[in-house]
Amino acid sequence: MLILVETPAGFAVFKLKDEGKLANIEDLAKEFETAESARKIVKLKAFDKFDNTSEALEAVVKLHEGTPSKGLRKFLKANCEGETLAVADSKLGNVIKEKLKIDCVHNNAVMELLRGVRSQFTELLSGLGDHDMAPMRLGLSHSLARYKLKFSSDKVDTMIIQAIGLLDDLDKELNTYAMRVREWYGWHFPELAKIISDNILYAKSVKLMGNRINAAKLDFSEILAEEIEADLKEAAVISMGTEVSDLDLLHIRELCDQVLSLSEYRAQLYDYLKSRMNTVAPNLTALVGELVGARLISHGGCLLNLSKQPGSTVQILGAEKALFRALKTKHATPKYGLIYHASVVGQAAPKHKGKMSRSLAAKSALAIRFDALGDGQDNTMGLEHRAKLEARLRNLEGKDLGRLSGSAKGKPKIEVYDKDKKKGSGGLITPAKTYNTAADSLLGQKPAKSEDGEESSKKKDKKKKKKVESEEEAEKEEPSKKKKKKVEEEEEAEKEEPSKKKKKKKAEAETEVVEVAKEEKKNKKKRKHEEEETTETPAKKKDKKEKKKKNKD
Amino acid sequence: MTHPQRRRGGGGRGRGLATGGGGSAVRGRGSESGGGIKGGGKVLVAPHRHAGVFIAKSKGDALVTKNLVPGEIIYDEKRIFVQNEDRSTVEYRVWNPHRSKLAAAINIGVDNIWIKPGLKVLYLGASSGYSVSHVSDIVGHEGCVYAVEHSHICGSDLVNMTEKRTNVIPIIEDARHPAKYRMLVGMVDIILCDINQPDQATIIATNASYFLKPGGHFMITISANSIDSKLSAETVYQKEVEKLQMEELKPTEILPLDNCEGDHACVFGGYRLPRKQNS
Repeated sequence: MLILVETPAGFAVFKLKDEGKLANIEDLAKEFETAESARKIVKLKAFDKFDNTSEALEAVVKLHEGTPSKGLRKFLKANCEGETLAVADSKLGNVIKEKLKIDCVHNNAVMELLRGVRSQFTELLSGLGDHDMAPMRLGLSHSLARYKLKFSSDKVDTMIIQAIGLLDDLDKELNTYAMRVREWYGWHFPELAKIISDNILYAKSVKLMGNRINAAKLDFSEILAEEIEADLKEAAVISMGTEVSDLDLLHIRELCDQVLSLSEYRAQLYDYLKSRMNTVAPNLTALVGELVGARLISHGGCLLNLSKQPGSTVQILGAEKALFRALKTKHATPKYGLIYHASVVGQAAPKHKGKMSRSLAAKSALAIRFDALGDGQDNTMGLEHRAKLEARLRNLEGKDLGRLSGSAKGKPKIEVYDKDKKKGSGGLITPAKTYNTAADSLLGQKPAKSEDGEESSKKKDKKKKKKVESEEEAEKEEPSKKKKKKVEEEEEAEKEEPSKKKKKKKAEAETEVVEVAKEEKKNKKKRKHEEEETTETPAKKKDKKEKKKKNKD
Repeated sequence: MTHPQRRRGGGGRGRGLATGGGGSAVRGRGSESGGGIKGGGKVLVAPHRHAGVFIAKSKGDALVTKNLVPGEIIYDEKRIFVQNEDRSTVEYRVWNPHRSKLAAAINIGVDNIWIKPGLKVLYLGASSGYSVSHVSDIVGHEGCVYAVEHSHICGSDLVNMTEKRTNVIPIIEDARHPAKYRMLVGMVDIILCDINQPDQATIIATNASYFLKPGGHFMITISANSIDSKLSAETVYQKEVEKLQMEELKPTEILPLDNCEGDHACVFGGYRLPRKQNS
């Protein structure tokens, strides 16, 4: 009878010398206590070594599924003809029986046998000591564990963190070197620094021409635009820089080489980062882009840590200093951190950046969790969310416009005048006027000092006031009033010379208005249209900066 | 599943104080520790009755093991640094009895834990590897710990831990089927079982029949509520012991763990102990 033993080093088949021993299970254990007696019972017949860990892993995985791997099958076929095979796993035994027509046995006696063999394994398997087995065992166990945990070296986020760190470092270095080139070469050809503003083009040009004398002869058309080339050639002739030797130029050129190769490498690194991001965190990349995604992961330490953060944290990652300062002094906390640089937030109007940042952070948190803990490899989820976010952005902007222009349903919102509000931010500054019914009927009303009554009163406008004014019959002139609002109704006013200043647009009522008093309106803003039907009495112009207001009766 | 990164931070504070301890470097002067020991004071580390385990004596006592991988800690345990006569520092890690039932058993005063330097140990229910790391400290480089853990989340923490410790072999399998990891495990001297499943007696018995050498020992922690919450704790312990005895696992000590929550007990025993010869 043969015994199949699986080890981290390979498969072994032992021959049982004395089958009679199987009858007495209890004594079997004693037999295996020493190597000597063990060798009397079993003998190593054949040993099939695994070539490397991956082969071992494959074989073991197949065993787990209950099927013999190719190597095992070949091995068994070669060695087990005509004998019964003792196996540790009855399922495996069945499969072997089916496929290879080798009878398999599995019972308590077999288990005891295996125990014995295992305890004396190193002795029985000459040529394979314990210290040989240990690294193989370690290697196999780690590969198996990784296989079980579905660890794939592609999805390691360490690469991303290192790559983005390197990208930042490279940018700094590149800038330093480029500045150095400019400074150094500026000794020889100072005007070039002003002519070519781009670092890479500068380096290329310097590399091409070396000494500025060569500039006239050479052709820069591959590097520079025509006008710049012309400027360059001109300046080269009349340059006031000093001469430099060839050795110096050699070193400057070497530095330019460095700059150029660094910038090339930076481009390569960026591509590498993009591809890694798409493998490690495809959904996050779809939502915020590669660079922002990589910075978020780097800031969080690892993708798994980042996935533990709530959306509100993702929103202000990167703005911690501002956040804690605001919390301590009880001010408003920042609305966005690293996520500000995502394109979705960048596209939004400044008013909506806060809202988009919040929505984006919420969806990103979901995408991060999906990437870190889920099984999927594609970015459909990220793309869907992105579409939703863009729809929301459109919605936000649409709402804004709709509000300002008024809708068929109702009246648009009338805004309170605010002198600090920025003008020209889309839509109308002043909303459409509504009809003020307060001053409709004028019968029997005395001219009063109230808003309605405006007699000769000097008005000095303040800059900030608007008044609703309705004029009525005014007996006396020279009322000057300040108006806070632009609604004005003019009515018959006899002899008035109010001078009013209006700061904003004013629409006049259509009632028969005979404007007795002449008014001069001065607008600060240009958007005012007047319709004065009335005659204008000689009006007094007043300055805009009058601050006093008098009401006279 | 991405490979989570381990934060090996938090150890710096211990080191800083060690050098700043100042004064004459008297032998045994340690610093910064935990589990009741205040930092900066004089700490004496003495070997425990059990080989491989040490006690750090200061205002309070703490159980420590000698760190197999100096400089690395598993989660956040404190470390004690002791200077030898030849000015080399020995690093010990504090073993928290609230986190590890084995440490709790040692603190209570078990007769024999059977774990010695150089032995091979099979640990069922390794979890994230906290207790496993201390067992690995005890058995040292000559010994070997086979850590079996079924859960993937704890398993990945375990794998991370074992990357630094070469005497621990991680096995991400269900302990109910020892056949599945038979090619990774040789014969062991001790089985430690901390699974808390209702059929844990059967589990340890099957594993013993595969891997435990005759005359070997075992330790099993019994959580009465995990086995059968309706019965009283003592009854549960008794029943488990009977089950074990049927499988040739003879208990030598039953130790109720008072400082753990719930009703826990540790059972130590031997396997296929040589029968006394009646001469």
